[in-house]
Amino acid sequence: MNKSIAEYLLELRHELVGCDPATVLDALSDTEDHLNTALAGAMADNPRLSEADALDGVIVRYGTPAEVAAAYRDTENRTRPALAAPESYYERSAGSRFFGIVYDPRAWGALLYMVISMVTGIVYFTWVTTGLYLSIGLLVLIIGLPVAYLFLMSFRGIALVEGRIIEGLLGVRMPRRSLFSQRDLRWWQQLKVLVRGRRTWATVAYMVIQMPLGILYFTITMVLLVLSVGLVASPIQRYVFDMPIIRTEHYVIFMPDNLMPVAVCAGVALFVLLMHLARGLGRLHAKLARAMLVGK
Amino acid sequence: MTFTDNELTDKKFQKELNSGTAALVLLAVLERAQEPMYGYQIAKHLDTGSEEVPVKQGALYPVLRALEVGGLLESQVEPSVTGPPRRYYQITSTGRDTLRQWIEIWNRTKTFVESSLKGNRHE
Repeated sequence: MNKSIAEYLLELRHELVGCDPATVLDALSDTEDHLNTALAGAMADNPRLSEADALDGVIVRYGTPAEVAAAYRDTENRTRPALAAPESYYERSAGSRFFGIVYDPRAWGALLYMVISMVTGIVYFTWVTTGLYLSIGLLVLIIGLPVAYLFLMSFRGIALVEGRIIEGLLGVRMPRRSLFSQRDLRWWQQLKVLVRGRRTWATVAYMVIQMPLGILYFTITMVLLVLSVGLVASPIQRYVFDMPIIRTEHYVIFMPDNLMPVAVCAGVALFVLLMHLARGLGRLHAKLARAMLVGK
Repeated sequence: MTFTDNELTDKKFQKELNSGTAALVLLAVLERAQEPMYGYQIAKHLDTGSEEVPVKQGALYPVLRALEVGGLLESQVEPSVTGPPRRYYQITSTGRDTLRQWIEIWNRTKTFVESSLKGNRHE
Protein backbone atom coordinates (compact mmCIF):
# COMPACT_ATOMS: atom_id res chain seq x y z
CA MET A 1 0.00 0.00 0.00
CA ASN A 2 2.39 2.65 1.27
CA LYS A 3 0.50 5.87 0.81
CA SER A 4 0.68 9.14 2.66
CA ILE A 5 -2.11 10.61 4.77
CA ALA A 6 -2.68 13.28 2.11
CA GLU A 7 -3.09 10.60 -0.57
CA TYR A 8 -5.46 8.66 1.66
CA LEU A 9 -7.58 11.79 2.23
CA LEU A 10 -7.64 12.49 -1.49
CA GLU A 11 -8.89 8.99 -2.20
CA LEU A 12 -11.49 9.31 0.55
CA ARG A 13 -12.74 12.59 -0.90
CA HIS A 14 -12.99 10.86 -4.25
CA GLU A 15 -15.01 8.00 -2.73
CA LEU A 16 -17.39 10.46 -1.06
CA VAL A 17 -18.41 12.25 -4.28
CA GLY A 18 -22.15 12.91 -4.21
CA CYS A 19 -22.49 12.99 -0.42
CA ASP A 20 -23.76 16.01 1.49
CA PRO A 21 -20.82 18.47 1.71
CA ALA A 22 -21.19 18.49 5.49
CA THR A 23 -20.70 14.71 5.57
CA VAL A 24 -17.63 15.02 3.36
CA LEU A 25 -16.08 17.59 5.69
CA ASP A 26 -16.95 15.49 8.75
CA ALA A 27 -15.38 12.41 7.22
CA LEU A 28 -12.22 14.20 6.11
CA SER A 29 -11.63 15.91 9.43
CA ASP A 30 -12.41 12.75 11.48
CA THR A 31 -10.05 10.75 9.28
CA GLU A 32 -7.25 13.28 9.21
CA ASP A 33 -7.38 13.65 12.95
CA HIS A 34 -7.46 9.89 13.55
CA LEU A 35 -4.66 9.02 11.14
CA ASN A 36 -2.36 11.71 12.54
CA THR A 37 -2.99 10.73 16.14
CA ALA A 38 -2.79 7.00 15.46
CA LEU A 39 0.40 7.38 13.42
CA ALA A 40 2.05 9.37 16.21
CA GLY A 41 0.92 6.68 18.69
CA ALA A 42 2.22 3.83 16.54
CA MET A 43 5.60 5.51 16.04
CA ALA A 44 5.92 6.13 19.77
CA ASP A 45 5.06 2.50 20.59
CA ASN A 46 7.57 1.14 18.12
CA PRO A 47 10.31 3.66 17.28
CA ARG A 48 12.09 1.28 14.92
CA LEU A 49 9.13 1.17 12.54
CA SER A 50 9.41 3.36 9.43
CA GLU A 51 6.69 5.98 9.04
CA ALA A 52 5.31 4.32 5.90
CA ASP A 53 5.02 0.92 7.60
CA ALA A 54 3.49 2.43 10.71
CA LEU A 55 0.91 4.21 8.57
CA ASP A 56 0.12 0.97 6.75
CA GLY A 57 -0.69 -0.64 10.08
CA VAL A 58 -2.85 2.30 11.09
CA ILE A 59 -4.77 2.21 7.80
CA VAL A 60 -5.38 -1.54 8.02
CA ARG A 61 -7.13 -0.93 11.34
CA TYR A 62 -8.92 2.21 10.14
CA GLY A 63 -10.22 0.70 6.90
CA THR A 64 -9.73 1.49 3.22
CA PRO A 65 -11.08 4.79 1.84
CA ALA A 66 -13.88 2.83 0.17
CA GLU A 67 -14.87 1.16 3.46
CA VAL A 68 -14.79 4.41 5.41
CA ALA A 69 -16.77 6.24 2.71
CA ALA A 70 -19.34 3.44 2.74
CA ALA A 71 -19.72 3.80 6.51
CA TYR A 72 -20.39 7.56 6.26
CA ARG A 73 -22.73 7.10 3.30
CA ASP A 74 -24.60 4.45 5.23
CA THR A 75 -25.01 6.61 8.32
CA GLU A 76 -26.04 9.58 6.21
CA ASN A 77 -28.79 7.50 4.63
CA ARG A 78 -30.04 6.17 7.93
CA THR A 79 -30.07 9.33 10.02
CA ARG A 80 -31.97 12.49 9.37
CA PRO A 81 -29.82 15.51 8.64
CA ALA A 82 -29.09 17.66 11.67
CA LEU A 83 -32.03 19.65 12.95
CA ALA A 84 -34.28 18.47 10.13
CA ALA A 85 -37.47 20.48 10.18
CA PRO A 86 -40.56 18.67 11.44
CA GLU A 87 -42.09 18.88 7.96
CA SER A 88 -45.16 16.90 8.95
CA TYR A 89 -46.52 19.92 10.83
CA TYR A 90 -47.59 21.63 7.67
CA GLU A 91 -48.15 18.90 5.15
CA ARG A 92 -51.92 19.19 5.39
CA SER A 93 -54.47 21.61 4.02
CA ALA A 94 -53.43 24.98 2.60
CA GLY A 95 -54.68 26.74 5.72
CA SER A 96 -52.78 24.63 8.18
CA ARG A 97 -49.75 24.77 5.90
CA PHE A 98 -49.88 28.56 6.09
CA PHE A 99 -50.52 28.89 9.83
CA GLY A 100 -48.62 25.74 10.85
CA ILE A 101 -45.37 27.64 10.49
CA VAL A 102 -45.82 29.05 14.00
CA TYR A 103 -44.92 25.53 15.23
CA ASP A 104 -41.73 25.51 13.19
CA PRO A 105 -38.77 26.30 15.46
CA ARG A 106 -36.70 27.15 12.40
CA ALA A 107 -39.02 29.98 11.40
CA TRP A 108 -38.73 31.51 14.88
CA GLY A 109 -34.97 31.07 14.75
CA ALA A 110 -34.86 32.72 11.34
CA LEU A 111 -36.96 35.61 12.64
CA LEU A 112 -34.49 36.13 15.48
CA TYR A 113 -31.59 35.87 13.03
CA MET A 114 -33.13 38.59 10.84
CA VAL A 115 -33.21 40.89 13.86
CA ILE A 116 -29.72 40.25 15.25
CA SER A 117 -28.01 40.10 11.85
CA MET A 118 -27.91 43.89 11.72
CA VAL A 119 -25.90 44.04 14.94
CA THR A 120 -23.54 41.23 13.94
CA GLY A 121 -23.28 42.68 10.42
CA ILE A 122 -22.16 46.06 11.71
CA VAL A 123 -19.67 44.44 14.11
CA TYR A 124 -18.20 42.24 11.35
CA PHE A 125 -17.98 45.13 8.90
CA THR A 126 -16.27 47.41 11.40
CA TRP A 127 -13.83 44.74 12.47
CA VAL A 128 -12.94 43.62 8.95
CA THR A 129 -12.40 47.14 7.57
CA THR A 130 -10.38 48.18 10.62
CA GLY A 131 -8.32 45.03 10.39
CA LEU A 132 -7.60 45.28 6.69
CA TYR A 133 -6.77 48.98 6.65
CA LEU A 134 -4.65 48.75 9.78
CA SER A 135 -2.72 45.77 8.41
CA ILE A 136 -2.18 47.31 4.99
CA GLY A 137 -1.22 50.65 6.53
CA LEU A 138 1.27 49.06 8.88
CA LEU A 139 2.79 46.82 6.21
CA VAL A 140 5.46 49.44 5.50
CA LEU A 141 6.65 48.75 9.04
CA ILE A 142 7.54 45.20 10.01
CA ILE A 143 4.80 45.28 12.70
CA GLY A 144 2.21 45.06 9.89
CA LEU A 145 2.84 41.35 9.38
CA PRO A 146 1.94 40.15 12.91
CA VAL A 147 -1.00 42.57 12.93
CA ALA A 148 -2.23 41.13 9.62
CA TYR A 149 -1.76 37.62 11.00
CA LEU A 150 -3.78 38.35 14.13
CA PHE A 151 -6.59 39.96 12.16
CA LEU A 152 -6.77 37.16 9.59
CA MET A 153 -6.88 34.60 12.40
CA SER A 154 -9.65 36.59 14.08
CA PHE A 155 -11.64 36.52 10.81
CA ARG A 156 -11.47 32.74 10.90
CA GLY A 157 -12.68 32.85 14.49
CA ILE A 158 -15.58 35.09 13.54
CA ALA A 159 -16.46 32.74 10.67
CA LEU A 160 -16.71 29.91 13.25
CA VAL A 161 -18.92 32.01 15.54
CA GLU A 162 -21.17 33.03 12.65
CA GLY A 163 -21.34 29.36 11.69
CA ARG A 164 -22.56 28.46 15.20
CA ILE A 165 -25.19 31.24 15.08
CA ILE A 166 -26.43 29.99 11.70
CA GLU A 167 -26.50 26.39 12.90
CA GLY A 168 -28.46 27.35 15.98
CA LEU A 169 -30.94 29.75 14.42
CA LEU A 170 -31.27 28.70 10.79
CA GLY A 171 -30.76 24.96 11.38
CA VAL A 172 -28.21 24.42 8.63
CA ARG A 173 -25.06 22.45 9.33
CA MET A 174 -21.90 24.52 9.16
CA PRO A 175 -19.10 22.02 9.67
CA ARG A 176 -15.77 23.09 11.03
CA ARG A 177 -12.59 22.31 9.28
CA SER A 178 -9.24 22.32 11.03
CA LEU A 179 -7.36 25.46 10.11
CA PHE A 180 -4.18 24.18 8.61
CA SER A 181 -3.71 20.86 6.89
CA GLN A 182 -0.06 20.94 7.86
CA ARG A 183 1.05 21.15 11.44
CA ASP A 184 4.11 22.70 13.03
CA LEU A 185 3.85 25.81 10.87
CA ARG A 186 5.44 28.97 12.23
CA TRP A 187 3.12 31.96 12.38
CA TRP A 188 4.52 33.56 9.23
CA GLN A 189 4.05 30.29 7.35
CA GLN A 190 0.47 30.23 8.64
CA LEU A 191 0.10 33.82 7.46
CA LYS A 192 1.16 32.74 4.00
CA VAL A 193 -1.43 29.95 4.00
CA LEU A 194 -4.08 32.41 5.21
CA VAL A 195 -3.26 35.06 2.60
CA ARG A 196 -3.27 32.50 -0.21
CA GLY A 197 -6.42 30.76 1.05
CA ARG A 198 -9.50 31.39 -1.05
CA ARG A 199 -11.67 30.86 2.02
CA THR A 200 -9.99 33.69 3.96
CA TRP A 201 -11.07 36.17 1.31
CA ALA A 202 -14.50 34.63 0.95
CA THR A 203 -14.89 35.15 4.72
CA VAL A 204 -13.77 38.78 4.39
CA ALA A 205 -16.31 39.30 1.59
CA TYR A 206 -19.02 37.70 3.74
CA MET A 207 -18.20 39.98 6.66
CA VAL A 208 -18.46 43.01 4.37
CA ILE A 209 -21.77 42.12 2.71
CA GLN A 210 -23.26 41.01 6.01
CA MET A 211 -23.75 44.67 7.00
CA PRO A 212 -26.02 45.74 4.09
CA LEU A 213 -27.77 42.36 4.24
CA GLY A 214 -28.23 42.67 8.00
CA ILE A 215 -29.70 46.15 7.66
CA LEU A 216 -32.04 44.90 4.93
CA TYR A 217 -33.18 41.91 6.99
CA PHE A 218 -33.65 44.04 10.08
CA THR A 219 -35.64 46.71 8.22
CA ILE A 220 -37.95 44.25 6.48
CA THR A 221 -38.56 42.37 9.72
CA MET A 222 -39.14 45.44 11.86
CA VAL A 223 -41.49 47.16 9.40
CA LEU A 224 -43.66 44.07 9.01
CA LEU A 225 -43.49 43.24 12.72
CA VAL A 226 -44.51 46.71 13.87
CA LEU A 227 -47.27 46.88 11.25
CA SER A 228 -48.73 43.51 12.26
CA VAL A 229 -48.53 44.21 15.99
CA GLY A 230 -50.14 47.61 15.37
CA LEU A 231 -53.02 46.06 13.45
CA VAL A 232 -53.60 43.37 16.07
CA ALA A 233 -53.54 46.00 18.80
CA SER A 234 -56.03 48.35 17.07
CA PRO A 235 -58.95 47.46 19.41
CA ILE A 236 -56.77 48.38 22.40
CA GLN A 237 -55.87 51.65 20.73
CA ARG A 238 -59.53 52.41 20.08
CA TYR A 239 -61.31 51.19 23.23
CA VAL A 240 -58.68 51.33 25.96
CA PHE A 241 -56.78 54.48 25.02
CA ASP A 242 -59.53 56.04 22.88
CA MET A 243 -56.93 57.07 20.29
CA PRO A 244 -57.82 57.86 16.65
CA ILE A 245 -55.83 56.42 13.75
CA ILE A 246 -55.52 59.86 12.11
CA ARG A 247 -55.49 63.18 13.89
CA THR A 248 -55.17 66.58 12.16
CA GLU A 249 -55.93 70.09 13.39
CA HIS A 250 -59.46 69.95 12.04
CA TYR A 251 -60.66 66.40 12.44
CA VAL A 252 -59.89 62.99 13.86
CA ILE A 253 -60.63 59.61 12.29
CA PHE A 254 -61.35 56.57 14.44
CA MET A 255 -61.27 53.11 13.01
CA PRO A 256 -64.87 52.04 12.31
CA ASP A 257 -66.06 49.28 14.66
CA ASN A 258 -66.93 46.92 11.83
CA LEU A 259 -63.39 47.15 10.44
CA MET A 260 -61.87 46.13 13.78
CA PRO A 261 -62.06 42.32 13.25
CA VAL A 262 -60.66 42.75 9.74
CA ALA A 263 -57.69 44.75 11.10
CA VAL A 264 -56.94 42.11 13.76
CA CYS A 265 -57.14 39.26 11.24
CA ALA A 266 -54.95 41.19 8.80
CA GLY A 267 -52.39 41.75 11.56
CA VAL A 268 -52.27 38.04 12.42
CA ALA A 269 -52.00 37.09 8.74
CA LEU A 270 -49.24 39.63 8.22
CA PHE A 271 -47.26 38.17 11.12
CA VAL A 272 -47.57 34.65 9.73
CA LEU A 273 -46.52 35.98 6.34
CA LEU A 274 -43.51 37.55 8.00
CA MET A 275 -42.56 34.17 9.46
CA HIS A 276 -42.72 32.58 6.00
CA LEU A 277 -40.60 35.39 4.63
CA ALA A 278 -38.07 35.03 7.46
CA ARG A 279 -37.76 31.30 6.90
CA GLY A 280 -37.33 31.77 3.17
CA LEU A 281 -34.72 34.49 3.59
CA GLY A 282 -33.05 32.36 6.28
CA ARG A 283 -32.73 29.45 3.85
CA LEU A 284 -31.23 31.66 1.16
CA HIS A 285 -28.87 33.27 3.63
CA ALA A 286 -27.75 29.92 4.99
CA LYS A 287 -26.90 28.82 1.45
CA LEU A 288 -24.87 31.95 0.94
CA ALA A 289 -23.09 31.56 4.27
CA ARG A 290 -22.34 27.92 3.58
CA ALA A 291 -20.87 28.72 0.18
CA MET A 292 -18.69 31.50 1.57
CA LEU A 293 -17.71 30.24 5.02
CA VAL A 294 -17.32 26.47 4.67
CA GLY A 295 -16.53 25.95 0.99
CA LYS A 296 -13.63 23.74 0.10
CA MET B 1 -8.34 -4.58 -4.83
CA THR B 2 -10.65 -7.33 -6.01
CA PHE B 3 -12.72 -9.71 -3.93
CA THR B 4 -14.20 -13.02 -4.77
CA ASP B 5 -17.98 -13.33 -4.54
CA ASN B 6 -17.69 -15.13 -1.23
CA GLU B 7 -15.57 -12.45 0.33
CA LEU B 8 -18.01 -9.79 -0.85
CA THR B 9 -20.97 -11.63 0.67
CA ASP B 10 -19.04 -12.08 3.91
CA LYS B 11 -18.20 -8.39 4.01
CA LYS B 12 -21.78 -7.44 3.34
CA PHE B 13 -23.05 -9.74 6.09
CA GLN B 14 -20.50 -8.31 8.52
CA LYS B 15 -21.54 -4.77 7.57
CA GLU B 16 -25.19 -5.53 8.14
CA LEU B 17 -24.43 -6.95 11.56
CA ASN B 18 -22.26 -3.95 12.44
CA SER B 19 -24.88 -1.35 11.69
CA GLY B 20 -26.49 -2.00 15.06
CA THR B 21 -23.69 -3.42 17.15
CA ALA B 22 -21.28 -0.54 16.56
CA ALA B 23 -23.73 1.88 18.17
CA LEU B 24 -24.30 -0.50 21.09
CA VAL B 25 -20.57 -0.96 21.67
CA LEU B 26 -19.83 2.77 21.51
CA LEU B 27 -22.61 3.58 23.96
CA ALA B 28 -21.32 0.89 26.33
CA VAL B 29 -17.74 2.18 26.19
CA LEU B 30 -18.80 5.75 26.85
CA GLU B 31 -21.15 4.68 29.62
CA ARG B 32 -18.31 3.07 31.50
CA ALA B 33 -15.83 5.87 30.78
CA GLN B 34 -15.15 8.15 33.72
CA GLU B 35 -14.59 11.18 31.53
CA PRO B 36 -15.32 12.31 27.95
CA MET B 37 -13.31 10.47 25.29
CA TYR B 38 -12.22 11.43 21.79
CA GLY B 39 -12.47 9.22 18.72
CA TYR B 40 -8.96 7.80 18.71
CA GLN B 41 -9.12 7.01 22.44
CA ILE B 42 -12.31 5.03 21.88
CA ALA B 43 -10.84 3.22 18.87
CA LYS B 44 -7.72 2.40 20.87
CA HIS B 45 -9.86 1.14 23.75
CA LEU B 46 -11.66 -1.25 21.39
CA ASP B 47 -8.46 -2.38 19.67
CA THR B 48 -7.96 -6.05 20.35
CA GLY B 49 -4.52 -6.13 18.78
CA SER B 50 -5.70 -8.24 15.88
CA GLU B 51 -6.12 -6.88 12.38
CA GLU B 52 -9.27 -8.92 11.85
CA VAL B 53 -11.66 -6.81 13.91
CA PRO B 54 -15.36 -6.89 13.01
CA VAL B 55 -15.66 -3.09 12.96
CA LYS B 56 -13.02 -0.98 11.25
CA GLN B 57 -12.04 2.07 13.26
CA GLY B 58 -13.03 4.35 10.40
CA ALA B 59 -16.61 3.11 10.69
CA LEU B 60 -16.86 4.24 14.33
CA TYR B 61 -16.72 7.97 13.64
CA PRO B 62 -19.89 8.28 11.55
CA VAL B 63 -21.73 6.26 14.19
CA LEU B 64 -20.47 8.60 16.92
CA ARG B 65 -21.78 11.56 14.94
CA ALA B 66 -25.10 9.85 14.29
CA LEU B 67 -25.50 9.04 18.01
CA GLU B 68 -24.88 12.69 18.79
CA VAL B 69 -27.52 13.80 16.28
CA GLY B 70 -29.90 11.36 17.97
CA GLY B 71 -29.23 12.95 21.35
CA LEU B 72 -27.66 9.82 22.85
CA LEU B 73 -24.23 11.39 23.04
CA GLU B 74 -23.05 14.94 23.41
CA SER B 75 -19.73 16.32 22.34
CA GLN B 76 -17.57 19.32 22.75
CA VAL B 77 -14.50 20.46 20.90
CA GLU B 78 -11.50 21.17 23.05
CA PRO B 79 -8.10 22.41 21.98
CA SER B 80 -5.32 19.87 22.26
CA VAL B 81 -1.69 20.51 23.07
CA THR B 82 -0.30 18.58 20.13
CA GLY B 83 -2.58 19.22 17.18
CA PRO B 84 -5.94 20.45 15.96
CA PRO B 85 -8.86 20.67 18.42
CA ARG B 86 -10.41 17.35 19.41
CA ARG B 87 -14.05 16.34 19.68
CA TYR B 88 -14.74 14.75 23.06
CA TYR B 89 -17.85 12.58 23.39
CA GLN B 90 -19.82 11.71 26.50
CA ILE B 91 -23.07 9.84 27.04
CA THR B 92 -26.30 11.70 27.85
CA SER B 93 -29.00 10.52 30.26
CA THR B 94 -31.18 9.57 27.25
CA GLY B 95 -28.16 7.61 26.04
CA ARG B 96 -27.95 5.71 29.33
CA ASP B 97 -31.65 4.80 29.23
CA THR B 98 -31.35 3.73 25.61
CA LEU B 99 -28.29 1.63 26.38
CA ARG B 100 -30.15 -0.23 29.12
CA GLN B 101 -32.93 -1.13 26.68
CA TRP B 102 -30.47 -2.00 23.93
CA ILE B 103 -28.58 -4.38 26.21
CA GLU B 104 -31.85 -6.19 26.91
CA ILE B 105 -32.61 -6.39 23.19
CA TRP B 106 -29.07 -7.58 22.53
CA ASN B 107 -29.36 -10.30 25.17
CA ARG B 108 -32.64 -11.51 23.72
CA THR B 109 -31.17 -11.50 20.20
CA LYS B 110 -28.04 -13.29 21.35
CA THR B 111 -29.99 -16.04 23.08
CA PHE B 112 -32.28 -16.42 20.10
CA VAL B 113 -29.45 -16.63 17.57
CA GLU B 114 -27.32 -18.95 19.67
CA SER B 115 -30.11 -21.37 20.37
CA SER B 116 -31.01 -21.37 16.67
CA LEU B 117 -27.42 -22.06 15.72
CA LYS B 118 -27.24 -24.94 18.15
CA GLY B 119 -30.35 -26.37 16.54
CA ASN B 120 -32.66 -26.12 19.53
CA ARG B 121 -36.26 -25.89 18.58
CA HIS B 122 -38.73 -23.79 20.50
CA GLU B 123 -41.88 -25.80 20.40
